[in-house]
Amino acid sequence: MTHKFLSHQELSSLVADLLAAKTRVIAPVRAKDDPEQIDYQLIQCFEEATFGVRLPRRSLKEFFLPPTEVLLHYKQTKAGVEIREVPTVAPPQVIFGAMPCDVAGLATVDKVMDWDYSDELWFGRREASTIVSFLCSAMDATCFCTAVGLGPESASGSDVLFTPVDGGYVANLITPRGEALLHNYGSKASDAQLATAQEKQRDARRKVEPNLPAVSAELGGWLASNFDHPTWKTIALRCHGCGACAAVCPTCHCFDIVDEHESADEGVRRRNWDSCQTSLFTLHASGHNPRASQSERFRQRIQHKFSIYPSRFGEILCTGCGRCSRVCPGGMDLPTILGELVNLSQAKPEVSGQ
Amino acid sequence: MSNAVEQRSDCTWTPKVVAFVCNWCTYTGADLAGTSRLKMDPNVRVIKLPCSSRVNPLFIIKAFERGADGVIVSGCHTGDCHYSTGNYHARRRFAILHDLLQFMGVEEDRVTFAWVSASEGNKWQQVVNETTARVRQLGPFGSMQDQSGGTL
Amino acid sequence: MSALQDTARKLLNDGTVSVVIGYEAGARGVRPAFITAPDQADKLIFDKRCVQNLATYLNPRRKQVAQLGKAAVVVKGCDARAVAGMIREKQIDRNNIVILAMRCGGVLQHPEADAELTAETVSIRCAGCTAREPKLFDHLFGELPPEPPVNAHRIEQIAALERMSPAERWNFWTEELSRCIRCHACREACPMCFCVRCTAEKSQPQWIDPSSTPHANRAWQTMRVLHQAGRCVDCLECERACPEHIPLGLLARYVADAVERRFEYKASDDPSVAAPIGVYRTDDDEEFIR
Repeated sequence: MTHKFLSHQELSSLVADLLAAKTRVIAPVRAKDDPEQIDYQLIQCFEEATFGVRLPRRSLKEFFLPPTEVLLHYKQTKAGVEIREVPTVAPPQVIFGAMPCDVAGLATVDKVMDWDYSDELWFGRREASTIVSFLCSAMDATCFCTAVGLGPESASGSDVLFTPVDGGYVANLITPRGEALLHNYGSKASDAQLATAQEKQRDARRKVEPNLPAVSAELGGWLASNFDHPTWKTIALRCHGCGACAAVCPTCHCFDIVDEHESADEGVRRRNWDSCQTSLFTLHASGHNPRASQSERFRQRIQHKFSIYPSRFGEILCTGCGRCSRVCPGGMDLPTILGELVNLSQAKPEVSGQ
Repeated sequence: MSNAVEQRSDCTWTPKVVAFVCNWCTYTGADLAGTSRLKMDPNVRVIKLPCSSRVNPLFIIKAFERGADGVIVSGCHTGDCHYSTGNYHARRRFAILHDLLQFMGVEEDRVTFAWVSASEGNKWQQVVNETTARVRQLGPFGSMQDQSGGTL
Repeated sequence: MSALQDTARKLLNDGTVSVVIGYEAGARGVRPAFITAPDQADKLIFDKRCVQNLATYLNPRRKQVAQLGKAAVVVKGCDARAVAGMIREKQIDRNNIVILAMRCGGVLQHPEADAELTAETVSIRCAGCTAREPKLFDHLFGELPPEPPVNAHRIEQIAALERMSPAERWNFWTEELSRCIRCHACREACPMCFCVRCTAEKSQPQWIDPSSTPHANRAWQTMRVLHQAGRCVDCLECERACPEHIPLGLLARYVADAVERRFEYKASDDPSVAAPIGVYRTDDDEEFIR
C-alpha cells in the first residue's frame, strides 16, 4: 500500500526502536542558544524532537556534506607518501521531520555529485539515510518553494512524506526504503484520513503560492542572454559577499580542498564549504580575478542557480526555502530579486522608431 | 595526532614551553644564565626575534596549537629597547592578549610576559623555572589538539 | 524624515554627491538604499528598524559602490565611529564623504518583527550608548529621543563568563565556536575589516588553518578580535551576519571593555583621536609583566 496511518504513539515506538538498534536519528529540536529557533540534531530520545514549529535554521546539507571533512590521511616516509583513505560507508540514519525544501535540495545536488565523478562520501551518506519529510506548516512571507516547482507537500528526495491528521500522520510511502522503514508500523490509512491529508496539503500550498509567482522556464534563457544587462551593476550593491547565504542554502555545494599538516610529516586532506560570493573564489594564481567585483559574483550566484544548473541538469538549484534572505545581513531578498528579474525577462522590447 | 595525545596523558609527560625572546636583552640574558651554569628546567625552546614587538599574538596561539603547554614572551625593559619604542608598542598588545586569552579560557599561568635584560641571567633562570613549574602543575594543553574529522 | 529626504535630494541635484547610502523599506523591515537619482530620495527612511551599520559600504574594496562616485552616508552615532575609524586609518578621505547623522534612541534586536522599544526588544548593542547625539556629521537630523531601554543580556553574559573557572570558559567557547563554519561573514560585514588580504587567507605559511576545526576556529576568532582591539566600534554587525548565531559580540565587547579599562579609550567618532593600539604611554600598566 502506498499510504499508511501512523499514530503519535506508533511514531514514538518507531523512533525508540531505531534508537535501540543504534541507528542515528535526526530530527528538529529546539536550539540550545535560543529556544525559539529550531535546529536539526541527532536525538537520543523521541521527546527531544519538535515538529512543525518553524524551518530549522540550517538545512540538511551538513549531514551529507559537512562543513569540513577529511578526505584522506597522508604520511611522508622514506619510501614515499602513504595514503590512508577514509571509509565511505556511513552508519545508517533516519531523518524525521525533514522540511520538504531541504529534502528536495538533496535530490537536486545528487545530480552534480554524480556528474563527472560519483562522490563516494556524499552518496555513502545518502545511501545510509532514510528520510521522512513532514508537510510544511511553518511557512512565512519569505518562503517561495512553489515558485521554483516545489511545494510544502513536495516529496522530491523523500522516502516517506508525513501529513499530520487527527491522532497521528498519514504516511505517503514513496520509495522501497520508505516502505521498509514503516513495514511493521502503522495501518492502512482510511479514505477520510487520505482526504484530510490532501486538504491539508492544498491549504499549505495556498499559503505559500501568493509569496511569489512561479519562476518561469524562460528566466533561464533570459539570464543566459543577458549576462551584461545593466541590472547586474546595481542589483547587488548591498551585498557584502559574506557567503552566509551559501552556508544556509540547501543546494549550495561548492567546496575548497586543503592539505593541513598535523605534524612535520603527517597530515590530512580536507574539503571545506566554500562560496562563490567570496572575493577569493575565482582568484587565479596569476593574480587575475575574473569575478573581481561583488556585482559579478552575485550575478554568478543567480546565473548558476537559475540558468546554468537547469540547463545542465534540468533543475533549478534552489528550493525556495528563503534562508538566504532571512540570514542576509545586507538586506538582499531573493524573492524580491527574482521578481525583478522575471519582470525584466518579460518586459516588452522597445519598438524602434518610437 | 592521536599518538601525540596519548603521549601527553601518560605519567612521563613533560611540559613543552616555547619562549619568544628579543635578541638584544633577553636572549643575551639567557646566554648569560647559560654561561653562568645556572640550573634551569630544560623544557624551554627559545625562539630569537629582533624585538619583543615582533611577537605577533598569532605566534602564541600557533605555539599552543602545535603542542606548547606554556609560552614565555620576553624583551627589554621599557626605556631600554634597542629600537627605542618597540617594547612600548608590544606592551599594549600583550596587555590585550593577556586579558583575551583568559577570557577564552586559557589559564593565566600558561603565558608569562617578562622584561629580562642582558645582565639578568638570574631573572631568566627564575622566569624559566617558575613558568615550567606552574605549567607542570596545570598539566598538558592537550585540549587544543585537533580531532581530525568533521564537526558532526 | 523629510529633512533627510530634502537634504539627500539637494545633494544629488547639485552634484555634491553621486549616491546617498541610507535605509529604505525592504522585505523584512528595512534594507540599505543606494539612491542615485534625486527623485528617489523620498525612499529614505529612518526608524528603530535601521540596525545595519552602513559604514561598511564605504570600504574602498567595494568596487561596485565606489564606482558610483562620491557618497553621502546615513549613520547613527555609533555607526559614525566606524566612519571615523576609516578616516583615521586612511581608508576614506574626510573630504570625500558627506555624513548624514541621525539622532537615535535605540534600535530593535529583531527589526523584522517591528515592535515598541523595550528592555526585551531593544538591541543588545544599544546598552551603554553614549552616541545618541552624533558628533561627526555634515548634516544632523531628528529630535533627540529619550535614552534607549537597557538590554543587559550581553553585560550579564560577560559577567557570568568572568565568574567561571578557566576550564568552564574554555568549554563555553569550544561549544560556541564548534558552530563556526569559517564562512568569514563576520569579517565581510565588519566596517573595520577592510584588509585587502586577510591574515586568514595567507597560505604560505598558513597561520590560521582554514578548516572548521576546534583549534582553527578558536585561532580565527581570537585573531580577528585582536586585530579589532581599539578599532572595533561594537556595532555587532559580525554577530548579526553570523549564519551560525555565534555570540561574536561577546568577544568584541570584552575586548572593547579591556581597551577602555587599560587605556581609557572608547571607540571615538573623532578621527583625530588616535586608536590605542599603535600609540603608547611610557607609564602604561605592566602589572601583568614580570
